Amino acid sequence: MGKKKEKCRKKTLLQKTLDGTTPTLNNCISQKHKICMVSDFFYPNMGGVESHIYQLSQCLIERGHKVIIVTHAYGNRKGIRFLTKGLKVYYLPLKVMYNQSTATTIFHSLPLLRCIFVRECITIVHSHSSFSVLAHDALFHAKTMGLHTVFTDHSLFGFADVSSVLTNKLLTVSLCDTNHIICVSFTSKENTVLRGALNPEIVSVIPNAVDPTDFTPDPSRREDGKITIVVISRLVYRKGIDLLAGIIPKLCLKHPDLNFIIGGEGPKRLVIEEVREKYQLHERVRLLGALEHREVRNVLVQGHIFLNTSLTEAFCMAIVEGASCGLQVVSTKVGGIPEVLPEDLIILCEPTVKSLCEGLEMVIAKERAGNLLSPAAIHNRVKTLYTWRNVAKRTEKVYDRVAKEVVLTIDERLHRLMFSCGPVAGCIFAFLAVLDFLLLLLLKWLVPESYMDRAVDATGPHGLWRQWSLPRASPNGEQKSNYHLSHSSVELLNDASC
Amino acid sequence: MSDEAFSDINGNRISLDCQRHSDFCGEFTVSSPKLSFLKVTGCTCALWLCAYTIFFFTEVTEVLSVAIMLSLVGMMGHLHFLKIDHESLLVIGSLGIQMTSSYASGRESTTFIEMSKVKDVVINEAIYMQRVIYYLCILLKEPLHPNEVGDIVPVFQSCKPRLNCLIEIYKQCQEILAQS
Repeated sequence: MGKKKEKCRKKTLLQKTLDGTTPTLNNCISQKHKICMVSDFFYPNMGGVESHIYQLSQCLIERGHKVIIVTHAYGNRKGIRFLTKGLKVYYLPLKVMYNQSTATTIFHSLPLLRCIFVRECITIVHSHSSFSVLAHDALFHAKTMGLHTVFTDHSLFGFADVSSVLTNKLLTVSLCDTNHIICVSFTSKENTVLRGALNPEIVSVIPNAVDPTDFTPDPSRREDGKITIVVISRLVYRKGIDLLAGIIPKLCLKHPDLNFIIGGEGPKRLVIEEVREKYQLHERVRLLGALEHREVRNVLVQGHIFLNTSLTEAFCMAIVEGASCGLQVVSTKVGGIPEVLPEDLIILCEPTVKSLCEGLEMVIAKERAGNLLSPAAIHNRVKTLYTWRNVAKRTEKVYDRVAKEVVLTIDERLHRLMFSCGPVAGCIFAFLAVLDFLLLLLLKWLVPESYMDRAVDATGPHGLWRQWSLPRASPNGEQKSNYHLSHSSVELLNDASC
Repeated sequence: MSDEAFSDINGNRISLDCQRHSDFCGEFTVSSPKLSFLKVTGCTCALWLCAYTIFFFTEVTEVLSVAIMLSLVGMMGHLHFLKIDHESLLVIGSLGIQMTSSYASGRESTTFIEMSKVKDVVINEAIYMQRVIYYLCILLKEPLHPNEVGDIVPVFQSCKPRLNCLIEIYKQCQEILAQS
C-alpha cells in the first residue's frame, strides 16, 4: 500500500517537473514565453545575425523566458548542444545549398520542426534574416501548426534586379500572415514595408546593440605621431571597397603620417592589394585578413578614425563598435546609418571618393588641432545608447503583444494568401499551405503528440539550469557540456522524487 | 523486483524488469512485444499473392516455389537477425557493464565494458529518423585523457523506451555506480 502511494507521488512529481510547462501552452496570457529562434545563420558561422540571435537569447533567458535556437548542421556539429545559461541549440541535419542557406522543398523540414515545437512546448516562433530559407520554412510550418510568429529582417534590398524581385515576392508571401515583424532601423522598416506590402502597424523597429564592455577605449595603444584610419568590414562590393581603393592613394600622398589598417576578407581584397602595390604603400596599409570577433577590439583601439564606406546598410554595427572604442567615425550616408549615432559622434559623407576624402581631411585637421572628443567621452556616450538588455526588453513587448493576438485559422490564412499576394503566387502558396496542413494531419496520425516526450527545460520559468552551476558550460567549452546538462537535469528529477 | 508497463517511442507497450541482486549489482531488462501473428500472416499473404499474380500471367511454376522458399527464409532471417525480444543491461559496480540483446530465435549477443573504461551513464538527446528522442548511453573514457569523454555507447537501441522508463533505469544505475 505504502509502496503504491509512493509510486503515485513519484509519478505526479515527475509529471510536474516534466510537463509543468504544458498548462501555460493553453493560456498564453502568461508573461513568460517559450520562444524558438530559427535561422540558418548561427555560430560557428560568424556575423551580425549570429551574434544578434545569441545575445538576444541570452538576455531573454535572463528575463526568465525559455529560449531555444534551431539552425542547420555545420559540418561535424549536428544534434543538440547547450551553450551558456542552458541555451539549447538544435543543429538539424539539413542539406546546405548556397551561402549557408539550406535547400528547401518546403515540406521536408516539417516533421523535425514539429517534433521540436511540440516537445519544447513552443508558443512563439521567431525567425531571423530574409536570406535564411530555414527561417521562412519555420514560419510557414509554425503558422500551419497555429503558433504565433515573429520575423526579424536584418538587411536592405533593392527593387530592380531579378533576384530582388523574386526575394521580395517570397517575402510578401511569407510575411503576409506573420503576426509581427521587427526591423533594425527606420530605413529598414520602410524598405521591408515596401518590399513585403505590409501594414506598417505590425512592423516594429528595434535596433541592434553592442556589448559595451567588450569595446572599451585604450588610447595608449595608438601609435604616437601618426594618424591611423581603421576599416573593418567584409571586403565585398556592398561595403564600398572600391571607394576605399580610391581614398587610400589620395590621402596617403597628401598626409605622410597617415596609416590604414584594414580588417576583413572577401573578393575585393585584390582591389586593395593592387592599389597598395601600385603606390608602394606596403608600410602604411596593413591588411589583416579575416578577424575573429574577439580580435576586433584590439584592432579598433589602435586607430584614431573609423571609416565605413558601405553602399547599403540596414543598421551598421561596425560604426557603433568603432565609436564604443572611442574612435571618431566617418561614414557614408546610406540606408539606416544616419539614425545610428548622434550627429556630433559621426561625420556623414556622400558615397563618393571626393566627399569621403573631404570628410576625412576635416577629421584629420581636427585631430591635429586636438579638437576631437576624447575616446573616454565618446565611449561613455555610446555605452548607454545600445544595450542588449534594452533590445531584449523591447522584443519582450513585441512578444507580449503577439501572444494576445489570435493566430489565423487555415481558411482565413488561405483567404489572406489568395488576396494579398497577387493572383499567381497567392494561389500557388495557398495550395502549398493546404498541402502542408494535410501533411501535418498525416504526421499527427503517424506520430501523435502523446508519443513525444516533453523536453526537460534548461531555461525558462521552470528551468533547471540556474539551480545547477556547471563548471564547463562556457561558450568555448560547450562541445561536451550537453552530457552534463542531461546528467544534472535528470539528477534533479531524481532529487525531486526522493 | 518491479515489473512495470511503459511504452516505446512509437507507442508500443514494453515492459521493464528491474532486478537488484545486491547493492552493487542490478539487471534491467526491457522486453518488446512478441512478433504479432497478424503482421506475419499479412506479410506472407502479400508475398504469396504477388507470386500468384506473376504465376497467373507467366505460368511458370518456379515462381510459386521461390515465393514459398523466400517467405520461409525471410521469416527465419527476421527472427534470427532482426527481431529483438529482450535487451538487458547488467551493471556490476566493481566489474563493469554488460549489454545483452536476445533475438526471437534465441540467439544472444553480448557486449561487456570494463568499469575502468566507463566514465558515466547518462540520458542524452539525439535526432533520430525525423524525430528528437531521449536515449540512455554509456560514456567511455578517452584512453589517453581519462578526464575527457571518448566514445558514446547507446543502450536499448532496438526497444527505444521513452523518458520515464529511461529515468527509472538511470536512477538505479547511478545508485549502483555511486556505491562502487
